[in-house]
Amino acid sequence: MLMNRATDQPEPNPLREGLATRAVPQPCSIVIFGATGDLTHRKLVPALYNVAADGELPPAVTIVGFARRKKRDEEFRRDLEEATRKFSRQPVRDEIWKTFGQSIFYHQSEFGDESGYEQLVKRLHEIDKTHGTRGNRLFYFAAGPDQFEAILKHLKAAGLNETRKGSWVRVIVEKPFGTDLASARELNRIIHNSFTEEQTYRIDHFLGKETAQNILVLRFANAIFAPLWNTHYIDHVQITAAETLGVGTRAGYYEGAGALRDMVQNHLLQLLCLTAMEPPTDLSADSIRDEKVKVLRSLRHWSRNDIAASVVRGQYAKGAIHGDPVLGYRQEENVNADSQTETFVALRLFIDNWRWADVPIYMRVGKRLPKSATEISIHFKKAPAVLFNKDLHDLNVLVIRIQPDEGISLRIHAKVPGTSFHIEPVKMDFHYGTSFGKASPEAYERLLLDAMSGDATLFARRDEVEQAWAFIDPIEEAWHAKKDVPELFFYPAGSWGPEAADDLLARDGRAWRKL
Amino acid sequence: MPAVSEKTYSIGVPVEVAKIDHELKKLWRESEGAATRASLMNLAVYSEAPGSLNSNTQLMARITEDHACRAIVIEADCKAEDDGVDAWISAHCHVSRAGSKQVCSEQISFRLNGGCTSQLPNIVLSNLDSDLPLYLWWQNEFHEPMDPQLWAWVDRVIYDSQPWQDFRAQMRLVESAQAEAKQRIILCDLNWTRLDKVRFALAQFFDHPASHHRFAKIKKVRIDHASGFRSTALLFVGWLAAQLNWRAEKTEGRNKLQFVSSSGQRIDIEIRQCDGQPIHELVLTAGDIEFAVTHAKCGDLLEVSRGIAGEKRVPQLMPAGKNDPVSLMSEELMRGGPHHVYLHAVERVRDLL
Repeated sequence: MLMNRATDQPEPNPLREGLATRAVPQPCSIVIFGATGDLTHRKLVPALYNVAADGELPPAVTIVGFARRKKRDEEFRRDLEEATRKFSRQPVRDEIWKTFGQSIFYHQSEFGDESGYEQLVKRLHEIDKTHGTRGNRLFYFAAGPDQFEAILKHLKAAGLNETRKGSWVRVIVEKPFGTDLASARELNRIIHNSFTEEQTYRIDHFLGKETAQNILVLRFANAIFAPLWNTHYIDHVQITAAETLGVGTRAGYYEGAGALRDMVQNHLLQLLCLTAMEPPTDLSADSIRDEKVKVLRSLRHWSRNDIAASVVRGQYAKGAIHGDPVLGYRQEENVNADSQTETFVALRLFIDNWRWADVPIYMRVGKRLPKSATEISIHFKKAPAVLFNKDLHDLNVLVIRIQPDEGISLRIHAKVPGTSFHIEPVKMDFHYGTSFGKASPEAYERLLLDAMSGDATLFARRDEVEQAWAFIDPIEEAWHAKKDVPELFFYPAGSWGPEAADDLLARDGRAWRKL
Repeated sequence: MPAVSEKTYSIGVPVEVAKIDHELKKLWRESEGAATRASLMNLAVYSEAPGSLNSNTQLMARITEDHACRAIVIEADCKAEDDGVDAWISAHCHVSRAGSKQVCSEQISFRLNGGCTSQLPNIVLSNLDSDLPLYLWWQNEFHEPMDPQLWAWVDRVIYDSQPWQDFRAQMRLVESAQAEAKQRIILCDLNWTRLDKVRFALAQFFDHPASHHRFAKIKKVRIDHASGFRSTALLFVGWLAAQLNWRAEKTEGRNKLQFVSSSGQRIDIEIRQCDGQPIHELVLTAGDIEFAVTHAKCGDLLEVSRGIAGEKRVPQLMPAGKNDPVSLMSEELMRGGPHHVYLHAVERVRDLL
């Protein structure tokens, strides 16, 4: 992430020395499949506009929208301009949009239409000539996963997966990366029929967040934490991803996915990997990903009994969020009236390696919880209770806040002023927003630049994805078994999930952090 | 609290020098809950210009919006007959981007009369926020004696070489102070920071290895600069020469220079004064291709283009940066690490500056 070891990284430009600490994005055509969809309008093009406005985007970068709807370049540009004005983190400047917009093109075709790809080849060659994109291609799959196979097959048939001398071709795949291990393997097989693993960038936008990247800095640039970061000093770890939102308009997808597949398999396990991994040998993409995979491989396998005892699933019933009444999940639009889909999951898991032996990791993720917050907390063991004639109930806790209000806090014990020896916990708090005035770039900005630079550090590798599914699959299987199915608990919207989730920790003499 | 609101920018309440620490603590106690103190560095600002205490307070109010620090603002009247020090404390507060909380940087202001150089180290050293780096923004020309007591504490010294009358003499002073301090002081020249965006705009033309062969074909560089910014243009030339390994061959008057590349290619440099921005336009000719960076009419954008001379081109826009002290300081404070490239650039044109 900080140092690029990609083999296709160009010779260093002597004029760049001292100007940038990140790998330099290279000229290319970004072809977005599913270009008329939400992701393109809300995230991708606003992100590209922002990096252009910040001067980070090389002038020779073009965007080619590939979609079924009939549209002309001008209409597509107008649509994107309107969306960017609405969703960009910085106001759109007419002068900048004017030149940025001229680099946007629309290519109308069915995803399964061979001739559409043949036309695309011609168009990209033309753009290479007129815009200096040098034969570099970045294919972004923003279409539904059911379209991937057709797109990949036709890209290959048209020769668009092939690199010419001195140029590169990369493909960015959006999650979900399958729905289980078998489908993930099948998806990877399909991708690898057309592209190599080195060309494949699986995007998990959580990894593009500033604080997620800062986990490595916190752990490996501060010597004080290294000796404490193990089973001898850590009592347990909690990872929470809470949101107040309900399923909204995503019921179609969510009904088939649920919280476990939607959040735990990717985002939460990625955060766990960053928290638990060993120091990498260097900061190259593969060194970091090698260490992350080792964490996933070390996760203790589930038995049916483990799942019943260590995994709690829940679904929100009607309740209130911020004082406003809200519907239960089953009453939401496009949701089955007797849906068994989980909107909440709490897990107790273990990493069976030297560092983390017997340290419980508690994870919870849910919709319609009282507040939106994603945090990792490291709970340290108690100090011996021999000196102060008092058992210190509160542990030292290091909290890494991923969103919102990114930052880090540490809870320690302090003596309350006075003649008696009264000890209370106090909090030392660091807020990114307070200390650094400059706004962080959006995750997609960082990730798109990384893909253009050939830096895959913040993207998931094939084995990471497959290992994550191998861990998740037994839970899904238990939930969908014909008998002894673990109970689906209901919780009122606006609460912290079902009581069974609290019991999960209470059985160990612990409790969830009060967020 | 006697905080400076975003629009008032006063130097705050007078305090006794011996009680600054006490008064600061009182100030934060009074505002507890409503405001958060933030600090990433000590930023000492030194000026001998009359009225600078007030003008620098205005600058600090804006700089602290993006760079939380303890500001130590000093105005010195070295010619005053009586020695004396007056002090004030204040806070620059703004609403953080994270929420509704007020985030405040504290400012300690000093007016030094007489015996400036002897008072300065103690004034700075006794008011540092511990464990934070010390950035010294020196707004005057340097003069002897350069007190090693102070310089030994400085992490980064920030200055602007643009108005310097004698660049070589000034750099000699800075470099000898640096050597005497026996520690790694990073030299930060705002005249160099001024070139950041233009250097960035030119550099990006050569990101692709296929364009590197053009370095050997560079035969002409033209730089148009605003009145008073010849030194900025020369630093730019120094940068090109250092990074592309050119050596100075000869000069024809003040504005025509000749360099030779390592392969023996002659490079003619023309420096012209014009109306407009510090570096208003530069055109680099390599073979039959021209690489141009020009300030757009709107002022804060650069138009960058490449093509065959005389042919119509479609320019791209990039941020130009601004030439005001707040923007330059913000840019400088965002960067970390040493400025080796600057030092190499200076070496190539030291005799021309």
